[in-house]
Amino acid sequence: MTRAFIHTAVPLLAAMLVAGRAAAQQIDPRLERLDAATRPAVLALVDSARRDLLPTEPLVQRALEGATKRASGDVIVAAVRRLAVDLGHARQALGSTASPAELSAGAAALHAGASQTTLAELRHVRGEPLIVPLAVLADLVASGVPVDSAAAAVLSLARRARDADLVEFRRAVERDIALGAPPAAATAAAATAQSVDVNAGARQQRPGRP
Amino acid sequence: MRPAAAARHVRTAFLAAATSLVGVRAPAAQTTGTIDVGVSTVRYDGFRPSGAGSLTPALTWAGTGAAVTARGTYLRFESGRRSLQGLVAASLFTPPSLLPQRWRGELSLSGGGSNYADFASFWHATGEARLHFVAAGRGAWIGGTGGRTSYGAAPRPVAVVGVGLWVRRAQVTVAASATRSFVGDTAYSDLGSTIHASRGRFELDASLAARVSSRGAGHGVHGEAGTTFTLGERTALFVSGGRYPTDPVSGSVAGRYASAGLRLRTALPRPHAIRDPHLPSRSPAAGDGGVGYTTRLEVDPNPDGSARVVVHALVATTVEVAGDFTDWQPVTLRRTGEDKWESVLHIPSGVHRVNVRIDGGRWTAPAGMARAEDEFGGEVGIVAVP
Repeated sequence: MTRAFIHTAVPLLAAMLVAGRAAAQQIDPRLERLDAATRPAVLALVDSARRDLLPTEPLVQRALEGATKRASGDVIVAAVRRLAVDLGHARQALGSTASPAELSAGAAALHAGASQTTLAELRHVRGEPLIVPLAVLADLVASGVPVDSAAAAVLSLARRARDADLVEFRRAVERDIALGAPPAAATAAAATAQSVDVNAGARQQRPGRP
Repeated sequence: MRPAAAARHVRTAFLAAATSLVGVRAPAAQTTGTIDVGVSTVRYDGFRPSGAGSLTPALTWAGTGAAVTARGTYLRFESGRRSLQGLVAASLFTPPSLLPQRWRGELSLSGGGSNYADFASFWHATGEARLHFVAAGRGAWIGGTGGRTSYGAAPRPVAVVGVGLWVRRAQVTVAASATRSFVGDTAYSDLGSTIHASRGRFELDASLAARVSSRGAGHGVHGEAGTTFTLGERTALFVSGGRYPTDPVSGSVAGRYASAGLRLRTALPRPHAIRDPHLPSRSPAAGDGGVGYTTRLEVDPNPDGSARVVVHALVATTVEVAGDFTDWQPVTLRRTGEDKWESVLHIPSGVHRVNVRIDGGRWTAPAGMARAEDEFGGEVGIVAVP
């Protein structure tokens, strides 16, 4: 009985392991767009990220982006590797509970120049999902706001501001920059002006007051 | 409409409208509206209690450094008599470069009138200047108001001076103010405090004030409280009540009330992934900054997860988009106008990378979008879909 079980179970188990490994290594058909030399390197990075429990879809997308833009294999592999590193750093900063979307946004913010410390502080001060604050941070830097100024502004708002407030803040910065304000000054002013009531003349009404 | 709520509605609208994060159409102005429908029991000082039904439409326009709010209230009492009130208020903020950092100036104008049962009517027109000092989580202001008000007779001058402080922690804002008002030969001082808190779908507002040193405007302590519960994108319930003082400026009579009702909001503006349609993008085929070529991208999400992608491109034969929502496979857009190309694509909520290609040239980030170096020698546009 025992021997028969061993004779049956062990090969079955081995087959399952092999099948599982093969499935894990199954090539994402989308990556067949990469050339033969580039594909294995990207696959290795994707597999490594999977083992580290990092989201792999952003890595695949980055490789596909490079392929579409006809970048060389070396450039594609380097870009995917940088993104994997940024995703890892984002998870270090944001914690193991961070969602894939948060990690992607965090990686973008890190790539823009934000520090892991800033990301960790954001996680500390804000209980809600960080996708919007991180995206605002990356967007500000992309608009020319110095990293330190952008990080200080987003951190100061993140504790109390909702996603809608942050987007409005971003919009105010954009507006002031368009009006000629230096990006850093526009960011500081918009961060503080967030708390100024918009319409002084209409402050007193309460819904339902007859 | 309560102004804090109005501002919040505007912000919420901007969330949907801002996409690069979360792109917004370049003119940067938004209009939002609400209609409050409610029932109340009210007792004005010197009058008998009465039930009333109310209808309060409000419209807020917010533009670059300015905002205008207009609202009206129609009240119908048990007796069949009716009251009409209307108010238009506008604020203009100084640009950030005009004053030192942390200081903002505000000029506001307010005009309104009310009419009760064809025999009592009031109007007022005032202007207020405020100087705000704002720091992280706290601020202060000092201001002065001047204008005219009328109770159906000759207009009387209005002058008000005031100071205020506020502190915000997490979702709670506490404010205090002191004002001294002169309306004709009436003079009075108000010391007041307010608190606003929000949690999830609930918002709570309460106020407590005392009228002191009054000559002709009454004395006493007044308090009001109200809460709003958001039901959906366009609907909310509100309950409020309390006692408020006579306002010699607007002509409202002191009273106590309890109200409940439904707030209907206008639909949120659709997001448009445009920041500045006037910025030239790169030339299509040549791949450099040619003159006369302008592309811009709009993304209009649909509730079913699809999105209408529109590219405006001058002098183009073919227009393609590619992004992480197409697995970076180029998608050729269909021409729907002289300079308009579009397609409907599945774009899930989130932050996406996107490029546009004109006539088979280089992949470029459309003008006006947030953009970043793409690590492949070019730029990529960033679009966030709410």
